[in-house]
Amino acid sequence: MGTNADAAQLPPWLLRVLIGRNPKRTLVRIVVLIVVSFVVFRFALVPIRVEGGSMLPTYKENGVNFVNRLAYLFHEPRRGDVVAIRLLAGEHVMYMKRIVGLPGETVVFHKGHLFINGKLLDEPYVKLPGNWEREPVQVGPDQYYVVGDNRDMLWEGHVQGRAKRELIVGKVLL
Amino acid sequence: MKEWSIRAILLAALVGLGFWGWHVFFPSPEKVIRKRLGQLAKAASFSSKEGLLAKAWNASVLGEFFTPDVQVTVDVPGTQHTLSGRDELLQAAVGARSAVSSLTIEFPDIKVIVAPDENSAVVNLTAKGKVPGQRDFYLQELRLRLTKIKRDWLIYQIETVKTLS
Repeated sequence: MGTNADAAQLPPWLLRVLIGRNPKRTLVRIVVLIVVSFVVFRFALVPIRVEGGSMLPTYKENGVNFVNRLAYLFHEPRRGDVVAIRLLAGEHVMYMKRIVGLPGETVVFHKGHLFINGKLLDEPYVKLPGNWEREPVQVGPDQYYVVGDNRDMLWEGHVQGRAKRELIVGKVLL
Repeated sequence: MKEWSIRAILLAALVGLGFWGWHVFFPSPEKVIRKRLGQLAKAASFSSKEGLLAKAWNASVLGEFFTPDVQVTVDVPGTQHTLSGRDELLQAAVGARSAVSSLTIEFPDIKVIVAPDENSAVVNLTAKGKVPGQRDFYLQELRLRLTKIKRDWLIYQIETVKTLS
């Protein structure tokens, strides 16, 4: 009752801004917007917040981004793609890493440089190089080797390795 | 007709209330385990404001979540060790409490698989630890095995697991 009286007192231009010319149509628009937002942000573009420094300087801490779940509907992940990888328990926390090794390849770090099948990989995105030295790793037929861009970290503190294809949620959008 | 519809609404409300009540008073094993793990995360967290007595009390509370013969296998880069028994685990917990001033532990993801006999369960979880003042947080994937003793779900095995091999 009070709300109706208040609404009647509002200037017409403000009413038009708030609820439009046709309130029913406005309501339908709001419902459609909510449904579309839910579907898009749940099933297509998953919002994420970057935590940790393993992808520095490409992705800074606390930055907001999106994971495109539909990116690999028609093709498989490619080298250089930054992807989100879900953990075994769920998707509330995911790893954000770059794909450097494809199925069947051999990945090795020598004096901080990355070699794929014995050939040096050009990595222009690595602005913080390190001096990692690791034994060769054979990537399985349904796996991808992922690593962060920040190599200026201790090997022990930098999560990386072979990720199963089924755990790759999608490609990071921006 | 009007009376009929009121009765139907009342009946539906009663059925809904019964359903809700059933779930509250007789929760599923999965729900009980999730709740228990939430309590574990809370018990494992501590702040710098804790006094000595509170520290000792909280450490003893932590022990209630494990069987006396609990086995813990830690295999993370740079560290590889095993803890056998609740006492050893609690000693390690007390040691951790003295190493850092405060720690907040969360389990953002918990995946519970209850055995058909509902007397044991396997849980995969993501543990996130944050030390105030430090920029980075600790993330660890764990696999727990639980057993039901009387009405309590107790952890008898903990092992670290890795998504990336």
